[in-house]
Amino acid sequence: MAVVEAGSQFASRQAGDRSGRAMTVLIGCAILLVVMMMASLTVGASGTSLFQALMAWASGEPIELRERVILFDIRAPRTLLGALVGASLAVSGAVMQGLFRNPLADPGLVGVSAGAGLGAILAIVLGGLLPPALAVLTGMYTVPVAAFVGGWLSTILLYRVATRKGRTSVAVMLLAGIALGALTGAVAGLMVYIADDNQLRDLTFWGLGSLAGATWAKLMVAGPLIVLALAATPFLARGLDALTLGEATAGHLGIPVQRMKNIAILTVACATGASVAVSGGIGFVGIVVPHLLRLSVGPSHRYLLPISALLGAAFLLGADMISRTIVAPSELPIGIVTATIGGPFFLYVLLRNRSLLDM
Amino acid sequence: MRIRMLTGVAALLTSALSTSAFAEDRVLSIGGSITEIVYALGEQDRLIARDTTSSFPSSVADLPDVGYMRALSPEGVLSVDPTLIIAEEGSGPLETIQVLESANIPFITIPDGFDRQAVATKIQAVAQALGVPEKGAELAAEIDAQLAALDTSVDAPARVMFILSTQGGRIMASGTNTAADGIIALAGGTNAVVGFEGYKPLTDEAVTLAAPDVIVMMSRDGDHATEDADLWAHPAISTTPAAQTQSVVRINGLLLLGFGPRTPEAATALHSALYDEG
Amino acid sequence: MLIATKINVSIGKTPILHGVNFDAQAGQLSAVVGPNGSGKTTLLKAMTGDLPYTGSVVLDGTDVKVIPGTQLATRRAVLPQAAGLAFPFTVLEVVRLGLTAGLGAQDRGLPQRALAHVGLAGFEGRLYHALSGGEQQRCQLARVLTQVWEPKRDGQASWLFLDEPVSALDIGHQLEVMTIARQFADAGGAVVAVMHDLNLTSMFADSILLMKSGHSVVQGNPQAVLSDEYLSRAYGCRVRVNVPPFHVQDAPYILPHMADLI
Repeated sequence: MAVVEAGSQFASRQAGDRSGRAMTVLIGCAILLVVMMMASLTVGASGTSLFQALMAWASGEPIELRERVILFDIRAPRTLLGALVGASLAVSGAVMQGLFRNPLADPGLVGVSAGAGLGAILAIVLGGLLPPALAVLTGMYTVPVAAFVGGWLSTILLYRVATRKGRTSVAVMLLAGIALGALTGAVAGLMVYIADDNQLRDLTFWGLGSLAGATWAKLMVAGPLIVLALAATPFLARGLDALTLGEATAGHLGIPVQRMKNIAILTVACATGASVAVSGGIGFVGIVVPHLLRLSVGPSHRYLLPISALLGAAFLLGADMISRTIVAPSELPIGIVTATIGGPFFLYVLLRNRSLLDM
Repeated sequence: MRIRMLTGVAALLTSALSTSAFAEDRVLSIGGSITEIVYALGEQDRLIARDTTSSFPSSVADLPDVGYMRALSPEGVLSVDPTLIIAEEGSGPLETIQVLESANIPFITIPDGFDRQAVATKIQAVAQALGVPEKGAELAAEIDAQLAALDTSVDAPARVMFILSTQGGRIMASGTNTAADGIIALAGGTNAVVGFEGYKPLTDEAVTLAAPDVIVMMSRDGDHATEDADLWAHPAISTTPAAQTQSVVRINGLLLLGFGPRTPEAATALHSALYDEG
Repeated sequence: MLIATKINVSIGKTPILHGVNFDAQAGQLSAVVGPNGSGKTTLLKAMTGDLPYTGSVVLDGTDVKVIPGTQLATRRAVLPQAAGLAFPFTVLEVVRLGLTAGLGAQDRGLPQRALAHVGLAGFEGRLYHALSGGEQQRCQLARVLTQVWEPKRDGQASWLFLDEPVSALDIGHQLEVMTIARQFADAGGAVVAVMHDLNLTSMFADSILLMKSGHSVVQGNPQAVLSDEYLSRAYGCRVRVNVPPFHVQDAPYILPHMADLI
């Protein structure tokens, strides 16, 4: 028995096996995330520092109300929401890329975020038209749920249009994404016309992409949806790995392909919908993070998905820290920060993967 | 909004009573017209920060800017350590206001309005918040008198269309119940667009149908001559009487639409622009 | 025992297969041959469930449609013709996908043994994308072998479905791969292979189905099927089948005529 153990130990260290490195990167990213969360609690426009506050508390001094509000009502929910949204954006990207078998698929690029956004816009503007009973039932969940449904429908639509006989055409996918974006843009434009000034303000604020509105209430709404989606991903890893060989082969490997695809689509919709609903349009996290990780730990989803979650969370917290300190006391929408980093990176990926677009 | 303002005032009064009379000397002013009122009241030394829309007088540029009034970040606001926040109606978002309230910082929302009465109310509300109601009453009376003294009666009021933007060839114009509508009335004009409330894009036909005699826009830095040429080249606008006489008035946005202490000046300027040109 | 009866396949409105019958047995290598477009691959895809068909495919007494996919995966592995890969996996990672079916999960060393078996020992750390076409094909074969490593398990045969397994290989590796398939069958497993090369087929197959234009021409042992008459009919050219002295087991050896297309 001991011999077998030793043998398998040896086997897991062999050439071509990147699980050892993946574990190292996973632990590294976990540490990075903890550091970023600490930093996120410490860094801000005001001088308040978590450590100073903790030291003061430890030495028996009462924490000032202002410090308490900054730490517990502003930075704490913002840090948690930032980590969850970052994780969900990166994981959505990775899952979508696995599902479409293409490293360029990203909810933000192919219209899923736009669909989720349309759901949110419809909920903000037309929410008042809901039958009162239903409105009470959905309550503060109306906007996230509508965003989820919007994301879900657009993912399904996209998949149906772009995938034929188990092969996804990238060109069709991107074109369908553009069409979807244009359609949602048109309906969103219509909503803007119908909206009153207050709703318009909500829409504008929401569209900029920001974590500035993070509150415990928002965390309570979006958190469970995101956690649910993240919790589903370990069950997708095996299937997405097999899917890389094509749907037919995945089926021959014993993967219930259709069910796996459905779960993957629901996961993407859930994670993207919830993120978009609470933080607006934050782009490029889903493409930058998984791509970087594939370069270092390989494409196996068993590691790619959890590490994407960790690195995505850390990345977004970093971007958020930039967004709220660079022009302090004002702040830059975080979408601008991620796009500034992600835009050039995406072009670089595009250049390196040009042959994929010719499929 | 009014209720929040009253509770804010109440909170302010109680805290003012419990501490010293000038406890609230770190004031954050949100909204261009609010900042103007603070200056007009002579209380500008108490200001420690402002929002992006506060651009007059030019010395406010020296104060830290906490961002756009509708997208305030709670920590950004707290970082300037205000003891009193006076904000124009519509400032937010709500989440930020709630957090600021939980930090026990009085957040006083000043109701907006677009007529003569509203200017006085606004001035008095700001003065009340600053704990200088007498100065407020004085300033309000002075501004009100200026507005009352405006002689804007004309034989035939001009039909005026306020255009917020012409982006992408789409005319975004003011309907009723806006600052633009209010200042047009104060200047003795008639809003040519009355079918809706707020600012909305107009179809080309609606522009033609509105048939404005004069077009009013906000002035910006840049080459107005080219902008005018573009404006008159717009197919819908080219059909209007304004295009035939090439009548366009450009006034600084904050001056024109602020509804603060400079509103008499704005109304006068607009009135003379509408009627005095030979 | 695999019995496919009256298999019809249409793609769109175009009928591709017309009531083809086929059977294969444990312990045998059963080949499907025929000219380009005769429906060989289509038949294989129908039997593996990749294409919708009418008719029946019965595997060891049970219609394959009612065998759960996870269970089927422990008994049957399929090597597709072209296997593109969406992401840069290493050779070892690709072969490990064969463990997905669950059987070999306890045996972590299996993928390496399979790689050595197909002559790719030492290739574990290479990127799949960087392999030559032939190496990729053998890497995929190793993956498939990892999935059904034991030709016979609990008294039941394991099934290998191979779609042109040697199409990208040089003659040396062709023999190597066909030998692996042969050994699998000899050890009690069952192999169904779509083949292009008639001579290789002749050397290794126990049973051959010859197809033409979506119809079965004939199925039987190589001596019966690989005749002048059948091959000429199927391929539309005259062929000569003879038994040269250097060849093994009296397998027919086929040379196409240079001229005289029928």
